[in-house]
Amino acid sequence: MIRFEDVALRYGAGPEILRQVSFHLEPGSFHFLAGSSGAGKSSLLKLMYLAQRPTSGRAHLFGRDVTTLTRGETALMRRRIGVVFQDFRLLDHLTALENVALPLKVSGQRENKVQQHVAELLAWVGLADHIHAYPPTLSGGQQQRVAIARAVVGRPSLLLADEPTGNVDDRIAVRLLYLFEELNKLGTTIVIATHNESLVSRFSYPVLSLSGGEVRMRTAPAAASAGAGGTDRGSAGQGSAGQGSAA
Amino acid sequence: MLFRRTDLPLDRDPSGRFLPWLIALMVYLAALALVSAMTMGKMVERWDTGLSGTFTVQVPPPEIGAPGAQEAAIDRVIELLLDTKAVRSAEVLEPDEIAALLEPWLGAGATYGELPLPALISVGIDPAAAPDYQDLARRLAEAAPGTVLDDHQSWLGQLLDLARAIELVAALIVILVGASAIAMVIFATRMGLAIHGRVIELLHLIGAQDAYVAREFEIHALRLALRGGVVGLLFAIATVILVARLFDRLDSVLLPELTLSPIEWAALAMLPLAIAVVAMLTARFTVLGNLGRMP
Repeated sequence: MIRFEDVALRYGAGPEILRQVSFHLEPGSFHFLAGSSGAGKSSLLKLMYLAQRPTSGRAHLFGRDVTTLTRGETALMRRRIGVVFQDFRLLDHLTALENVALPLKVSGQRENKVQQHVAELLAWVGLADHIHAYPPTLSGGQQQRVAIARAVVGRPSLLLADEPTGNVDDRIAVRLLYLFEELNKLGTTIVIATHNESLVSRFSYPVLSLSGGEVRMRTAPAAASAGAGGTDRGSAGQGSAGQGSAA
Repeated sequence: MLFRRTDLPLDRDPSGRFLPWLIALMVYLAALALVSAMTMGKMVERWDTGLSGTFTVQVPPPEIGAPGAQEAAIDRVIELLLDTKAVRSAEVLEPDEIAALLEPWLGAGATYGELPLPALISVGIDPAAAPDYQDLARRLAEAAPGTVLDDHQSWLGQLLDLARAIELVAALIVILVGASAIAMVIFATRMGLAIHGRVIELLHLIGAQDAYVAREFEIHALRLALRGGVVGLLFAIATVILVARLFDRLDSVLLPELTLSPIEWAALAMLPLAIAVVAMLTARFTVLGNLGRMP
């Protein structure tokens, strides 16, 4: 699914944000991407959702070297990737319903086939009463859930989430993680960047740990039953954590 | 309804306010230029049709103390004319007909009995077999010294030159209007690309092709240009109607008739459509060109 070999990234003439990053994520795997603020989590995700190209090294996505993709191929590949941005990036002039439907519209799906599906998804993330609300009228947590719904609406093969639970309480955070687990069970590869260690320990999935611009793979931590959710679905062996390896 | 709205809020851009008015002005100018060219063309055609197949011969007035000399000269001239191949008729204009011709210059109350006016002979010819005017003029002058042949070609040619110049200016105005519209749409589109850079980036990140983004801009440009074009055309039609009424009031034979045929009206109505299509294509290629240069 994703294979990085000695990938480095720097912005312009600035310092190297990522260096010698090598790892391989199998299709259908579930990984957390952990690291302190400024460690390069968002930059690594940008490489994965093709917003950046490596300064050096080789990055393969869906079996293709990303440096050889044309603009058209890049667009088609991005349709297989769902992204939850840290700053949500919702369109303020569109309703929650229209924001979530946007990836389907972009990929050319017909309107009559998506309306009910989108409304149901918004209801699932707890926004049934806000489907016609505009983002500026929603709270941070509600906007985040709209962003998550938009990322998953197209049943992506790869879901990348940058701090997707940063603006919601623990109960909602756990609920959203269950949503990601459900997607993972359907075959979607998941990478969630977070610095919420309690969430990482609650769900026993392997962790890509970023520090000093380098990445290390940590095995799945033992599941804990902490958190406001009160359930224990994040225990070891729960879900379909795939295999991954980091050099 | 879900997909009705555009993804880019282009309606809120400054271009949405100024572009329709500029397009309206452009279409207004282009429409007036076209009407001028069409009217001038019709006027020349009318005069050309009216004068083809005729020419005029002027027999000078008699010298003082030579009564009857002009009548004799007219007889010789008509005899020569009727003997000429291709001439079908030769008629001397009556004094009241000459008076009618001079009325615009001398007024209705003028009397011509004392004025030494030349006699005018209207000559009808077969348009398919025009005579050699130079040779005929020479022979007429020999038959009746001072006789002048006027085949109207001199001033008709000047009129045609004027009509062609007006048509050329009209075409130039239409081309300049088109070029100005293209420049304005390029400017507005680039401004839109800069203003909505983040939204466009998001659309790309969720899988939009460049053509998808371009479609948003081209639909926006089409709407604005169509709106402005229709307004400009309506103002132009109002102006034409106003000028036509002024011409009617003046009632001068020298002024052109400001009436348009259905085909000419259709050509005018095509102006807003044409400029809207030009705007749409310009927006499309501007967006594709700019996005294509992005990494």
